[in-house]
Order: sequence, then C-alpha cells, then structure tokens
Amino acid sequence: MNEITNDEAKLELALGALKFVDDPEIGLNVVDLGLIYQIDFDENNKKLFCSHSLTTQFCPMGETINSGITNALEQTFPDYEVETKITFQPPWNSSKISEEGREFLNM
Amino acid sequence: MFPGTANTGLAQNTSYKVVLPFYLYAGISFLVATLLLIFSTPAFLQHYFHPHTLAITHVMALGWGTMMILGASHQLVPVLIEGKLYSNVLAYLSFVFAAVGIPLLVTGFYKFDFGWAAQSGAILVNAAILFYLINIGVSMAKSKHENVHAVFVFTATLWLIITTIVGLFLIYNFTYNILSKDSLSYLPLHAHLGIIGWFLLLVIGVGSRLIPLFLISKYNNNKLLWWIFALINFALISFIILFLYIKITVLYFAPLLAIAAAIIMFAYYSYRAFYERIRRKVDYQVKISLLSVFMMLLPLFFLLIIILWLLISTSNYSVILTYGFCIFFGWITAIIFGMTFKTLPFIVWNKVYHDKAGLGKTPNPKDLFSDKIFVGMGIFYLTGFVLFAIGILVSNLIILKIASMLLLVTAILYNGNVWKAITHKPKKL
Repeated sequence: MNEITNDEAKLELALGALKFVDDPEIGLNVVDLGLIYQIDFDENNKKLFCSHSLTTQFCPMGETINSGITNALEQTFPDYEVETKITFQPPWNSSKISEEGREFLNM
Repeated sequence: MFPGTANTGLAQNTSYKVVLPFYLYAGISFLVATLLLIFSTPAFLQHYFHPHTLAITHVMALGWGTMMILGASHQLVPVLIEGKLYSNVLAYLSFVFAAVGIPLLVTGFYKFDFGWAAQSGAILVNAAILFYLINIGVSMAKSKHENVHAVFVFTATLWLIITTIVGLFLIYNFTYNILSKDSLSYLPLHAHLGIIGWFLLLVIGVGSRLIPLFLISKYNNNKLLWWIFALINFALISFIILFLYIKITVLYFAPLLAIAAAIIMFAYYSYRAFYERIRRKVDYQVKISLLSVFMMLLPLFFLLIIILWLLISTSNYSVILTYGFCIFFGWITAIIFGMTFKTLPFIVWNKVYHDKAGLGKTPNPKDLFSDKIFVGMGIFYLTGFVLFAIGILVSNLIILKIASMLLLVTAILYNGNVWKAITHKPKKL
C-alpha cells in the first residue's frame, strides 16, 4: 500500500507554487480561485497528484492552466513525478473563491 | 495508485497558424471597406443596387464578417464540442480559397463586370465554405459532446453555404439568365439568408457561450436558446416561402416578429448572464460586445419601417441602405471589435506563454494589446457609425465623407492593435 501523505509543509509549498499559476482570463491565481481540489504525495513511488477544476467546462485555456499547474509543481518538487487531473466533480462555483480572490474580483 | 488520471472535458486548442491568417485578412478587409467608403460616398445617395455598394457590402460580409468568424470558429468549435478540429489542411484550404475568391468577386461587383473574375471568385468562395462545412461537420461528428451552441454553428454554416450557392446563381444569372427573373429581384432573399441564417444564428450560438464565459457567469438557459434557434429558423423558412411563393407584404410581419422575439430573448439571456456575473468589473471588449447585442435592435427597427413603407408605397432606398449599413458596420462590426480583443490575445498568449505557464509571472492576455487604442477606436467608431447612418438618411455627402474618414481611422486603430497583439514578444520571466 502506498503511503499517501499530506504534510502541512509540503502542502504549503505546493500551494505557494500554484499561486504563480493564473487563470489568464481572470488574472487570478488557481489557488485563490478555488480550482485546486486535491494534492497528494505518494512517498513510496515519489509521485505527486493534483486534481483541479476549471471555472467552466468550456474553458479555452484549460490546457494551458493544466500545463501551468504541472510546470509549477515539477519545478518545486523535482524529485516527484507529477500527475494532474481535471475534474468537474463537483463543478466549480464562486463559493470556492478565497477572501483574497473575492477582494481581487470586487465581489 | 492515484484515482483516475485522464483529464476530462479538455478542449484541444487549434494551432494559431490556422487561425491568425483569418484574423489578419479580416482586419485588412475592414480597412479596404472603409477606404472604399471614402471613395464611394456618392453611391450612398443612390439605389442600393449600385456597383460600389455591392462591392463594399461583400467586402464587409465576406472579407470582414465571414473571415473573422471562420477564423474564430476554428478556435472556438473545439471548445464548444470539447474535442479537436478535424483537419488543419481543410482550414488552410478554406482560407486560401476564400482569400483568393473574395477580391475576385468584389472586383467584379465594383466594375459591375460579372465575367470570369466574378464567376471564379464566387466558385472559390463556395469551395471555401464547403471545406469549412466538412471540417466543422466531421469535427462535431467525431465528438461525443454535442450541445446547443454547436448545433447553432453547424446550422448557421448550412445556411451560409445555401447563401453562397444562391449568390453563385445570381452571379451567373447576370450573364446567362439561368433564373426566371433578374438578379436584383433575388437580392433580398440572398441577403437575408446570409444575415439571418449565417450571421444572426452564428453570433447568438457562439455569443451565448462566450458572453457568460468572459463575464465568469454561471447563467445558462438551454431551453431559451432552443427557442431562439427555432424562432430564427422558422423566420427564415417562412421568409423563403413568402418571398418565392406568396407575395403578400403584410405577411412579412410573421418572420419579422419571430426574429424580433429571438433577438429580445437573446438580449434577455445576455442581461441575465451579465447580472449573474462573478467578475464585477467588465472590460471594454465585453462592453462593446454587449452593446452589439442591443445594436441588433437597430436594423430591426429599420426593417419594420421598410415593411410599413412597402405597404403604403414602394421601397425607400435610403432606409434600406441604412438598414444594411446598421447590420454590417453596426451590429457585426461591434461584435467583431469586442470578440477580436477577447479571443486574439488568448490565441497569441497561448502561442507565446503556453510552455512558460506556472514557471513565473507572465503578462495577462489583456496586456498584449493597448486598452487606450481600443477605447480611442471605440470613440471613432461610434461617432463615425452614427454620423454615416445620419448621412444616408438625410442624403448629405459632407456628413458621409466626414463619417467615412472617422471609420477609416477606426480601421487603422483596429489593425494597429491587432498587429501589436500578433507581434507580441515573450517577456523574460
């Protein structure tokens, strides 16, 4: 059985890296937008898994946001193999936006 | 083992190499159209069946409107169907055939010579549209994610090819009399197949997806969109039947009312998307796109006057010219202005920064063009548009000249901003 960890320090580091990935249309990062659903580290196999959503299923920038997330995690955790998955379960909605994000969007 | 690693719902972007030539061609066409306006202002004091008016209309309809839509839809259809474009080769062929065919056709109109140049131009344009239809049709057939927006696009393309086939017949009819009447008699049919079947259906189909997308709005109402789809198609089919078989003017109110209902429903849809938006600050590009929705009502108003006029008298040329002008230089141009600077920066941004995403702070797509130039363009455009429409209605050559110069400045600013976006060089991260 693989050991799945989510230690605070690594999680913080991952989220810090993902704060550099913006949704180009909105200009807000994917963390404050609430697009990141799950981050898991598989310590046995040195794998990092990230599941994220998009603001809409039709997002034309989906591919770019996905590769931005992969790039940011690979750069921060060079010893891990990064796997990403786009999911719409549950679908993203505005309640997932952080306080900073709401301020940015004048919500 | 991690749970399911396959990505779902990810549209595959079409290469910028396919899309950008269409955008550039459309921009240059708009510039050419405004130049022709300056040299042809006296034509707007005469009958609408004037060589220069026909030439300008076709530069606007094919070179500007259709080329822009073809380019943008090669990018947007994969987004709508959550798949990929079937063939880049067909897209290139579509571009080359249309790019060669349009100037040949327009030159024919301008010189009022419907010989080999106009005939081969019309054939090339038809071939271009056929390639596009096949490309879009096969892309949709291969995707499992059909939706109302995609159905709008495909149906609009079917109406487009019907429009261009009718156009081809009209061109040949000038020389060979293949139809029972002269080509002028069929002009309203050809024009409305294109305006309603192609432009209106497509703009609503794509706009109903893009407006909520750019406003970050969760509003969606497929039932309303299906109603709009049914009303537009009912209007077109009933118009064709009325035009060809039942020539009773008062009955034209039926398709007119159906179109009016469809446009009002779409305006309501746009308003709800705007009202339920997450992003409070709305940028200028979306503002002008929303303005274009309301600019749809302007030609509708003139169409009502045209029908009323027909009931009591013969047709009024200046009102018909204003009607056409409001469609091509009003509604269609406004939506293109808005959508160009929402879609083009994304396409270029994707090309330049796709591999750099997440590796540092990148500029946003909106930083790829000048907001100030965009606002300046909007002011010149709206002033030029209103003045030109007034110039036609009051038959004043000086107003028309001033307005056409303002529209030329608009076209220069538009092309300058497009060029700025296209030639963007990557910033060091």
